[in-house]
Amino acid sequence: MILSDLLDLPVHDATERLGYCVDARLVLDAPVVGPLAGARLHGLVVSPRTGTSFMGYERSGLTAPWPLAQWLRHRHRGTFFLMWEDVLRVTTDRIVVVTDATRYDPSPTD
Amino acid sequence: MTASSLPRPPRPRGRVLDARLHLLSRQVLDRHDVPVTTIDDLAFSPVPREGAHDREEVTGARTYVVDALLTGAALVVRVFGGRAPTSVWERVGWQHVSDVGTAIHLGVDGDELDVTWTERWVRDKIIRHIPGGRHDPE
Amino acid sequence: MNRLLGVALGVLTAIGGFLDIGDLVTNAVVGSRFGLSLVWVVIVGIVGICVFAQMSGRVAAVSGRATFEIIRERLGPRAGGANLVASFLINLLTLTAEVGGIALALQLASSVEPRLWMPLAALAVWLVLWRVKFKILENVTGLVGLCLIGFGVALFLLGPDWGELLSAATHPHVPTTEGHAVYWYYAIALFGAAMTPYEVFFFSSGAVEEKWTVKDLGQSRINVLVGFPLGGLLSIAIAACATVVLLPRHIEVAALSQIVLPVAQAGGKLLLAVVILGIVAATFGAALETSLSSGYTLAQFFGWSWGKFRRPERASRFHLTMIVTLIIGLGILMTGVDPVAVTEYSVVFSAVALPLTYLPILIVANDPGYMGEHVNSRSMNVLGVVYLTVILVAALAAIPLMIVTGAGR
Repeated sequence: MILSDLLDLPVHDATERLGYCVDARLVLDAPVVGPLAGARLHGLVVSPRTGTSFMGYERSGLTAPWPLAQWLRHRHRGTFFLMWEDVLRVTTDRIVVVTDATRYDPSPTD
Repeated sequence: MTASSLPRPPRPRGRVLDARLHLLSRQVLDRHDVPVTTIDDLAFSPVPREGAHDREEVTGARTYVVDALLTGAALVVRVFGGRAPTSVWERVGWQHVSDVGTAIHLGVDGDELDVTWTERWVRDKIIRHIPGGRHDPE
Repeated sequence: MNRLLGVALGVLTAIGGFLDIGDLVTNAVVGSRFGLSLVWVVIVGIVGICVFAQMSGRVAAVSGRATFEIIRERLGPRAGGANLVASFLINLLTLTAEVGGIALALQLASSVEPRLWMPLAALAVWLVLWRVKFKILENVTGLVGLCLIGFGVALFLLGPDWGELLSAATHPHVPTTEGHAVYWYYAIALFGAAMTPYEVFFFSSGAVEEKWTVKDLGQSRINVLVGFPLGGLLSIAIAACATVVLLPRHIEVAALSQIVLPVAQAGGKLLLAVVILGIVAATFGAALETSLSSGYTLAQFFGWSWGKFRRPERASRFHLTMIVTLIIGLGILMTGVDPVAVTEYSVVFSAVALPLTYLPILIVANDPGYMGEHVNSRSMNVLGVVYLTVILVAALAAIPLMIVTGAGR
């Protein structure tokens, strides 16, 4: 699987569309293969829209420059994070997740 | 409406990176900070599991790990969509990555990687034939 | 003492290197048709280039990343790719104009047909790019470019009515002989000539070339805040010379010979020779900068190894790009197009491309991931956003005005 197989795909549960996958969150906690730890696919960032979310304003705390940051935040309000374990399957045209999968805060915890 | 009303996910046990935000389109630098390429995509592979075979569909029940940074597939595909066949992609294995900052640093020399072949081709076929190409500027 | 010399060198180089064929032609044309009623645009443009050059230099010094890498990283492949195509083509157009400018200046000096000079000029530009160190190439063309102060000298020697000039500059109005649309068209052209995109690519990549760090920010700020405005003063001098000599006699600017006519009139052959030397240096320097910018934009977008600080064989695709763009530019010139006309189009299209270049810089200058604690201050952001709006308006109005006025007829 490559990353583009996930990006911009609609995310559905059994009943409705939850949004679009705009990013994949990785955590460096997999077994070490080189200087860095392995990067494990931790979950997906889901947003009501695709488009400008790659800028990441809705996930970081950035408020500058005004008014760009605020406008982009507004466009992507309602973005949330899903754990990878809640994904049922990935097909060529959608990602299906379990119903009532927990929606988490999309800001990366550190 | 605000993200702060959602619960925080369980705290991960390592550094967190968002693939598109922090890795895609980023510069890859070799051991001497010489630019190698840009990251155009990432290749994931499932962690091997008893009784599972490779062609199984992608599911959250399996753990996926970044296998390699992918580069080289046409800009055209990235701009207009679609998926280039995997044979066209050039790979930089994750084992070569030594640090991730605003650029991705590798622990090896660029020349050791397959991915720098166009640079070496232009160098050998064109630049080296022009007098002075091998010298530092004065 | 050494430090003071270094600072002086930086400032002088910035002044002498500020003008290019676009500034020369546009200011002379404007002076000959509108007098000093568009000087306010030059001032707005100078402040704008100071804001963004300083910002992009700071981004490069703190983060070590040059402008087009940032465009690629923050805009992604689609918007970044579109940005690349537009910026590269406009850069190519500007490069063509600059090499043409070298040939025209050499024609003035020698009366030899410019088309014979063009291949020599292109070859000379390439040779310098191939073998000469970045710092030397910058300093030599910048210092010799100071000869353009001859325009200021000429203005004094012409003994104009200073009060009248000042009043014309501070009370802008559309002259009765020209229409409103043409006035605003040339306002945009002047704006594009002052805020050329290649300047930003060159400045930020140059910061990486010279391995600037946070410690060099002070020097760079002085270069920009002192050097650029003084360079801008020179472009006003060019416009003023045209106002004093060409405007009253309704002389149209169609060639370099009209642009330097006031100088010849004021100071004779000697001053003219000095100014021609200055024009050769300024256009040669600008040709170097635009060639380097074409290499920088392509190499940074695709992630290739780049930089004059590397020997050519360690940045092969970068050097190949510059060779190819010089050949294409030369090819365009050899078809017989008028370099002055190419210049006039290049400044207007530069204005169209400005938002593509400046928006990513403004975004990254605020990103602590790249900038650490050196993110933009509040006031810098206000300035940046105000200018971005002005740039957007100019960019959107440029093409319609070009069509309506028939490119300024």
